[in-house]
Amino acid sequence: MTQAFGDQGADQAPGRGSAPAEWIGRNPVAALVIAVAIILALWLVLAPWPAGFEDVFGKKRLFINALFNGITLGGLYFLVATGFTLIFGLMRNVNLAHGSLYLFGGYMGYEAGQWTGSWLFSYVIAFVCCALIGMAMQFLIFRRMEGQDLRQTLVTLGLSIIFSDLMVWVWGGNAIQIDTPDYLVGPVPTPIVVAVKSSGEAVFLQYPRVRLVIFAASVVIGIAMWLALHRTRIGVMIRAGVDDRDMLSVLGYRVQLLFVAVFAFGAGLAGMAGIVGGTFQSISLGEDSHFLLASLVVVIVGGMGSIPGAALGALIIGCSEQFGLVYFQNYATVLSFLIMIIVLAIRPQGLLGRR
Amino acid sequence: MSTIAERLAAAGTGNAIELRGVSRFFGALAALIDVTLSVRPGERRAVLGSNGAGKTTLLNCVTGDFPPSSGTVRFFGEDVTILPPHERIRRGLRRTYQISLLFQGLSVRDNVYLACRGCSRGRYSFIRTRANDAIMQSVADLISLVHLEAVADRLVGELAHGQQRQLEIALALAGAPRFILLDEPAAGLSPNERGDLVAILTALPSHIGYIIIEHDMDVALRVVESVTMMHNGRIFKEGAPREIEADPEVQQLYLGGGHG
Amino acid sequence: MALAQTTETPIGVGAQQRSVSPWIAKQAPNLLLGLVLVLLPAVANDFILDQILGWTLILGMIALSLMFLAGYGGMVSLAQMSVAGVSGYMIAVLGTSSLPKISLFWPWWVAAPLSIGIAVLFGTFAGALSARTEGIYTIMITLALAAAFFYLTLQNWPVFNGFNGFTTIPAPHFLGVNWRDPVPLYYMILFFAALSYAVVLYLSRSPFGLALQGVRDNPRRMEAIGYNVTAHRIAAYAFAALIAAVGGILMVWLNNQISPFSIGIDVVINLLVIAVVGGLSHPIGPFIGALIYVILRTFALDALVAVGLDGRRFQTLIGLGFLIIVLFSPDGVVGIWRRLSERARAAGGRNGA
Repeated sequence: MTQAFGDQGADQAPGRGSAPAEWIGRNPVAALVIAVAIILALWLVLAPWPAGFEDVFGKKRLFINALFNGITLGGLYFLVATGFTLIFGLMRNVNLAHGSLYLFGGYMGYEAGQWTGSWLFSYVIAFVCCALIGMAMQFLIFRRMEGQDLRQTLVTLGLSIIFSDLMVWVWGGNAIQIDTPDYLVGPVPTPIVVAVKSSGEAVFLQYPRVRLVIFAASVVIGIAMWLALHRTRIGVMIRAGVDDRDMLSVLGYRVQLLFVAVFAFGAGLAGMAGIVGGTFQSISLGEDSHFLLASLVVVIVGGMGSIPGAALGALIIGCSEQFGLVYFQNYATVLSFLIMIIVLAIRPQGLLGRR
Repeated sequence: MSTIAERLAAAGTGNAIELRGVSRFFGALAALIDVTLSVRPGERRAVLGSNGAGKTTLLNCVTGDFPPSSGTVRFFGEDVTILPPHERIRRGLRRTYQISLLFQGLSVRDNVYLACRGCSRGRYSFIRTRANDAIMQSVADLISLVHLEAVADRLVGELAHGQQRQLEIALALAGAPRFILLDEPAAGLSPNERGDLVAILTALPSHIGYIIIEHDMDVALRVVESVTMMHNGRIFKEGAPREIEADPEVQQLYLGGGHG
Repeated sequence: MALAQTTETPIGVGAQQRSVSPWIAKQAPNLLLGLVLVLLPAVANDFILDQILGWTLILGMIALSLMFLAGYGGMVSLAQMSVAGVSGYMIAVLGTSSLPKISLFWPWWVAAPLSIGIAVLFGTFAGALSARTEGIYTIMITLALAAAFFYLTLQNWPVFNGFNGFTTIPAPHFLGVNWRDPVPLYYMILFFAALSYAVVLYLSRSPFGLALQGVRDNPRRMEAIGYNVTAHRIAAYAFAALIAAVGGILMVWLNNQISPFSIGIDVVINLLVIAVVGGLSHPIGPFIGALIYVILRTFALDALVAVGLDGRRFQTLIGLGFLIIVLFSPDGVVGIWRRLSERARAAGGRNGA
């Protein structure tokens, strides 16, 4: 029974009804708490805040901006972390060069954008470049170290040290910003109320189009991956391999092809995320460490080897970072790590991870 | 071999191992369904059945590798259903594995030493054990019991398969075991080595009971006094070895009867 | 090739021959090395003592704590540098520094033990978080913890003074000696490094150390023979934290300052490089790795320029060296040494020794 990537957990007797209903039955208090939290969240977002409330908690505009920024940042983190968790889940390889792939993709995307003027095309370039590197890594190096998880991870570490330094050599220490293409510039009106003018007229949130588009793209990619994993033959192989790697060896030579494909895909995703990051914020030296760490935290919180886990973790960490920036300036990053520590203490395998 | 009655008298009454209504599911797969089983102290029992009958899962529930989905497990009267493995070991339960689980980077002597230390005090001691400590004598005794004196100081990784299986048994005999679970101890052994295994098992002190899971009926039926047959996660027959061997249902299910 | 195969003489056998001369024969290399290090100040100048050997011994100690966990326990903990950082920061906060508005100026014999205690608590906490997960997750979790500590020191001003950190954290005067001077400082560092080396070596054959190796090789079987694997791992983290904590204080006394960049992610990773390059299978490995690293760091700039390369590509050099070791000799320099001596012995045997 494959249980990877979001399937329900073990220990269920057959024929007991749907899993969520059963979970609610077993954890009534937790279910109630989550229901209340959802209702509260919906009210916070959709309803105008009364004046007294705003005196205590600050302006709703601030909150809504932090929320939207957090969610869209979560989309970016999802793109990076998902490749990381795929590579770890299937090949048991903690790819410490993942941040370097992110940064390299961003740089290559920037160069491609400069050269062709097309923002979309730069994604293709970034994906292809990073996928090729990923393919080379798996095919030339890791294939020879089958089963030696720690050794493979150390190799990725060595590679990341070299990549990082070489990228500093080529692109220096300056921050590079990738321009948003003209057709995506500008705000988009949303139906979310952020304030009520003294005249009684509601003020609606205007949010940058590009961030919404990229978030939508992340969601589409996530759904596409989920479908691929659950509806295609390759997907079944991947999930089976994540569950029980030894079982895969029965399938023979195709296993290595699968590993190469997965590594390439994960690396390519990270590269594309680099362009996203360059557009949202900027890319520069040090961002490789930053996004590697972000992937680590997201995957630890969400669950190792789980793509829904990566999505959940990315959302949590994205929001915690943005809310931290707005409400606890000095300790924004520490807040994310605190969440990670709490999750580790209570549920070491991550929120959606399996033991 | 002393009679059953004598051995029971020596071991005391009450069941050594008692399973009641134990079930274990892996998702939709039912590995064990409503298993109720009791084994008396000092009793030697074989649990037989085809692949997938649930024998190893049964063992795992008794040792605590994972808890059952439902039901209770009692060890010498104590409810151990949710007790972690190392606690059950402290109470006298031991186990061997189908595929030897040994410490590959350490020598034979070190492996046995760890097993002896595991149930004694001083597990966390920072002081090296002196050569004339009593525990070293136990280590030496165990090594000769399983005929591994010649390779005592070699690394486990260098041992032959049969030798590793013998070491596997030695680890289970360390400390003061009250009951041992043997998971296919004869797997991959040559006929000579099987004879050795039978000799070791029958020579065990009478108060130590064991459950042996085996495919090889020859070995199993020679070293036990009662048999439990499993099929598709349930117990489907229990009795004395001769009865089981001669039983038509058993013969039908396992072509060729008692010579698997 | 295993990354760590740490068994040497079997337990009980070597101890039987407890007469003096065979023991000295076995310990000869260690004693010789010790002798050389003790006599070194007679010939070496202050720069070599402090900057080369001092750093080698300190980094070696902290890397030793990593080796203990990774080599004997199978747990690659990247949190050891942070443990050293905790004790280093605490001695600045509790003891003397250039910041009277933060430092408490407690005497060293109060500040040092307290700092070590706090660091050990932190190390144990790191162990508690990662001990219940599979071995390969340890690297992830401890790296994240190290990053968390780095960001904490960077962003917190009331206690850690943000990116400035602390300066002027001198070693104390006691027993009539100013331990800040190069030669006494060197001997103090040498003492603690040698002590930790000897203790780790001794411990490897103790019940605790052997059990740790058993946990590394087969945690499931260890549970099945009566060990509480999680408790054992956490205890190992606590012991390793002790060594790293002492190293952290010595580091601060040698360096006379501490800032977030002393314990940043690149330093944390370099420590792993040191331990792996030296070799995870014997306690001398981390010190060998540290020596190589310190020499490279001191002379790489000139060496690179001399061959016409950019002197700033030091990290590429480190990465390449590390990669070569992991690809061709995963048990590090110690492993290379072992294989060479085995070949020499085999050749000697063939030639009728």
